[in-house]
Amino acid sequence: MSAGDKKSKSKKSAARKRAAQGVSLTDALAEAAWSEADAALAQALADFDEADTADGKAARKDAMARLGQALSRAGRKRGLARVGELDEEVDFDAEAYDLNAAVAKTPKTVRIQARGVTRGGEMLAKPRVAPVDRNKRS
Amino acid sequence: MSDWTLCIDFGTAYSKAAVAPTGAWSRFDPASVRPLMLSADGQNTFLLDSAVFVDEDRVLFGRAALNEADAQADNKRAALRSFKTLLSVSDLDRALNTNAPATIDPHRVFQMRDLIVLYLAYLLASIERAITADPILAQGGRFSRRYAAPAWRSGDSAGMHDVIVRLFGEAEAFRTAVGKRLLSPDGLSLRAISEALPKAMERAEALEMGLIFEATAAAAYTSVGLEGSGSHMIVVDMGAGTTDIAALARLGPRTIELPEARVTLKQAGDFIDRVIANRVLESAKWAKRQDERTELWSVLMRQMGDIKEAVMADGRATLRNQGRSITLSFRDMEKDEDFREFEKSLRQAYDHALAVVRDDARARGRSDVQAIAVGGGASTPFIQALIRRKMESTRPRVIPRPATPDWAHAREFRGNLAPVFAQLAIAIGGALAPDSMLAARSGISPPANDRSGIPVERD
Repeated sequence: MSAGDKKSKSKKSAARKRAAQGVSLTDALAEAAWSEADAALAQALADFDEADTADGKAARKDAMARLGQALSRAGRKRGLARVGELDEEVDFDAEAYDLNAAVAKTPKTVRIQARGVTRGGEMLAKPRVAPVDRNKRS
Repeated sequence: MSDWTLCIDFGTAYSKAAVAPTGAWSRFDPASVRPLMLSADGQNTFLLDSAVFVDEDRVLFGRAALNEADAQADNKRAALRSFKTLLSVSDLDRALNTNAPATIDPHRVFQMRDLIVLYLAYLLASIERAITADPILAQGGRFSRRYAAPAWRSGDSAGMHDVIVRLFGEAEAFRTAVGKRLLSPDGLSLRAISEALPKAMERAEALEMGLIFEATAAAAYTSVGLEGSGSHMIVVDMGAGTTDIAALARLGPRTIELPEARVTLKQAGDFIDRVIANRVLESAKWAKRQDERTELWSVLMRQMGDIKEAVMADGRATLRNQGRSITLSFRDMEKDEDFREFEKSLRQAYDHALAVVRDDARARGRSDVQAIAVGGGASTPFIQALIRRKMESTRPRVIPRPATPDWAHAREFRGNLAPVFAQLAIAIGGALAPDSMLAARSGISPPANDRSGIPVERD
């Protein structure tokens, strides 16, 4: 018996068990959609540790770049999309944005600090914004 | 009249299939779309590996074939893959009658035709199993079948269709003869094959199947609900080997391709892989020795899917090799002369096809043209920018459609269809398409669960 044979015999995959149990279409789609996202998330966890323990600015920057890349990939595999542009100035709308600062007066214009996340038109996380600091504007 | 329409997407790497109620395109309900769970292995049960491996005393299919091929790679053994490429050659009969190479068939007993028939039998058995396991489809009903194929084959499409339905017919006869043994992870013995295959091929009849062009399938899932406005479409399909542009027009009950619009470019996903790899090698000044460059190349090729996706979607990708980080941006890619040339050719090809489809739409008094991107490169920014070209021009106006249609986000799927839609798109579109969109037609097959008149399975 060859190696592949042994492998195939010993391997009773999760998918096959679920097929035998009559898995629902939605669950199977979810598993398919998650399979690649899982790999990207695992990568992101490892990259986070590297970023957290990095010696020096350059190493941390590299690790952060890879962490961001892995998280973006996981998001894409789950059908997530970013909303807005970092540092973009927009008119404040409490329905559309999360204000990321304690303010005495509702700001008119805000700056996007963190992009929002949507899936198929559903807003999962609103963009986070902060009041524009007029003193810092050129 | 059938109750369900089944479409098989016989893909280069994976085969997929989906079922929709007959007439679903006009009375659309997203929940009625049923992608089939073809594979019993792996996490993505909708993808069936297109692979056959001829072992010492048996033949393996799908994932088991790939695993065994990996295990025996050192012995110069390989699985047969990319049947789709073979089915695209102009002299198909000759290609099918060629003996399989020794790396694929060390016994030298199989022709390519035999191996394709064996795989198709495995695919049909997997479809049968998936239908039986689906709580809605298992309730029964009559199924009409069709398969999706590229429209731009060099040969005569109708002639090809006759050959392919004959292959499916032989596969069905063989599947009936050997039964569920086809789905065993241990494969099928050479003895069982040599006993059953010649007889099955002899008594086989062409399977009743329709043919739908891949571009039309893409048009079908995109134009659901656009009956009035979606009469003219331009489809950009960037796959691994080619980038194809086609234009379609729905004229009353029929959908036709406008052949003068069709363009095929030989640069596509694989070409972009090479551009990326070459740019990275160029920037990796530290990799001077041949062995260092070879190692970097193999790292790049192993991670190319992720690297390419990050470059296209995020604008840049960072990878690690021998403790060093390498970053490549889309701007770096745009500095590549070959890539710039490809972008230019693509724009020219698109503009040519768009002019043809617009002329046709204008002549028929239509007000718009839908632009659709499909295939592995559908979401890339430069393909998305391409289908947004000339949007501002005069009527008929161009309406770019999203790579994943809005209905794939329907609540019924709880956010799980959209992420995998691209992989299943052609099978789903092919199942949704009305008969009027078919390139070739045939009758209705018996219900999938109706075994009357079929010899009892011998397991």
